[in-house]
Amino acid sequence: MYGLVDANNFYASCHRAFDPTLEGKPIVVLSNRDGNIVARSNEAKALGIGMGQAFFETKDLREQHDIRVFSSNYELYGDVSARLMSVLTQFVPDVEVYSIDEAFLLCEDYVGIYPSYSGLGQDIREKMKQWLRLPVCVGFAPTKTLAKVANRLAKKNPELNGVCVLDSQEAIAEALEHFPIADLWGVGRKSAGKLKRNGIETAAQLRDVNDDWIRQTMTVNGLRLVHELRGLPCKLLEVNPPAKKSICTEPGFGQVIPDLTQINDALTVHLSRVCEKLRRQESLCGAVTVWLRTNPYRRTPGNGQPAKQYSNSVTVRLPHPTSSTLEIVKYAESALKAIFRFGYHYAKVGVMLTDLVPQDYRQAGVFVSGPDERLIKLSKAMDKVNKRYGHDTLRMASQLYNPEWPMKPQWLTPRYTTRWDDILEAK
Amino acid sequence: MIETIDKIPPENIYLVDATRRADLPFYDALVPAGFSNPADNHIRERLNLQDLCVLHPDCTYFVKAVGESMIGDYIYDGSILVVDATIPVETGRVIVAWVNGECCVKRFVRQAKMIMLESSNVLYPPRYVHLDRDQFSVLGVVTYIVSKPPKYVRPR
Repeated sequence: MYGLVDANNFYASCHRAFDPTLEGKPIVVLSNRDGNIVARSNEAKALGIGMGQAFFETKDLREQHDIRVFSSNYELYGDVSARLMSVLTQFVPDVEVYSIDEAFLLCEDYVGIYPSYSGLGQDIREKMKQWLRLPVCVGFAPTKTLAKVANRLAKKNPELNGVCVLDSQEAIAEALEHFPIADLWGVGRKSAGKLKRNGIETAAQLRDVNDDWIRQTMTVNGLRLVHELRGLPCKLLEVNPPAKKSICTEPGFGQVIPDLTQINDALTVHLSRVCEKLRRQESLCGAVTVWLRTNPYRRTPGNGQPAKQYSNSVTVRLPHPTSSTLEIVKYAESALKAIFRFGYHYAKVGVMLTDLVPQDYRQAGVFVSGPDERLIKLSKAMDKVNKRYGHDTLRMASQLYNPEWPMKPQWLTPRYTTRWDDILEAK
Repeated sequence: MIETIDKIPPENIYLVDATRRADLPFYDALVPAGFSNPADNHIRERLNLQDLCVLHPDCTYFVKAVGESMIGDYIYDGSILVVDATIPVETGRVIVAWVNGECCVKRFVRQAKMIMLESSNVLYPPRYVHLDRDQFSVLGVVTYIVSKPPKYVRPR
């Protein structure tokens, strides 16, 4: 049996865990630069606030309702998540951390201590409530896909008390009967549309399709999904997840910028960050994509007409995989120069590193020598210095340094568990 | 369901955290051949305050005390409280809890349907919490108090 533990409205719950007065209040959490809404509590969802909605659009709602606004506090979420996962390993030895607030459990031989799976689920819920003050839902089923289904049912149906166990054929059949395919794990909008055109609306219908047909329409992944729905585990627990295949970043400038030097500066800053991430996961990248765009909502200040728009992107293949910021920045800068057009007010520049390979993978080129080992070592030394003395202590010279540049978020909350200056105070 | 032979309660099973630092003393002494260092067999881990104070690292929080209401329990202004959320709250324990949104450290006493939160300073009257009217939630039980020795004031 697989279990899936998922925290309800994780970001909002993290804020509630350290401030109980937020219980029952609508909460929204904003993205890095307070631009968009990235998380909502149930109460905020009920008010019709959408995921990813621009924050300024909610101004009227905020005037009518007592909506609590928070800038994202990733340090807090990260620590609460680490605690959550660590507590889970006290229940079951094999835990796959699937995302910041979700984990799969493999509970094969572990039922002895608990009378039943629902007993285990209830105990997990109780302990999370008391120890971490986090509401969670638990779903149990013979496969990971079905565990996802069970978890969703536990969340949607309050009468289940947060735990849903699909342990018999009848229970599984009943659960799949009315389960929409779009909500299944691994079914995107595109495949959902494709299936719907073929008359498949519910998970039960998808389970009963012909094997060959599904392999043709949705490749082997579709077949795996169908097998999982029938109760045959195809997706096993991944305790050591593979490294990411691509890393990207696209923060806004905070204001519109017309000139190349400043955009180049921002690009270097982002690139240093993603290269740091790249080295942290011990990978090399083989290609860099740079894109640039204007703000589609912007109006020209004088006449109120929509401003003229431009966006473009370009991918540069590197001669050899590398993780050195110095090398990658050269290619990224020439890529930026190639797509930059004079006369627009740009809102965002983004950079993405793709074709990632493990660090020990080196392939000698025919006409070029391999990556310069010294440059990679130099970048690692920079990481060490910056880790000890703070971000950007050592930086590229092309990075016009402005300590105020990443705008301070407006609704920051204390990092209760990771900074001594921020810990709770009790009278 | 299956009965296991040894019943270890799940809260007593921990995952060993390899990232936690343990200082091992290194004895840098030249040893004459033929005679081994008699201390070799006695090298142990160095003591670590974290091991003493924090039994459940995942469920422990540090909280700073403000004010002097708990001075009788050696909690001074600025003391750091080690608060464990796994310990059950019982009458007589010093807890950190939120009462109507205000975070406080008090001694917990159950009185019929009410909860009395007692201070240990005569200047502070006890606080009564009615569970049906007040918003009350517990962070955890105070297990250790970390404070500096008070400043010495010469008696006159």
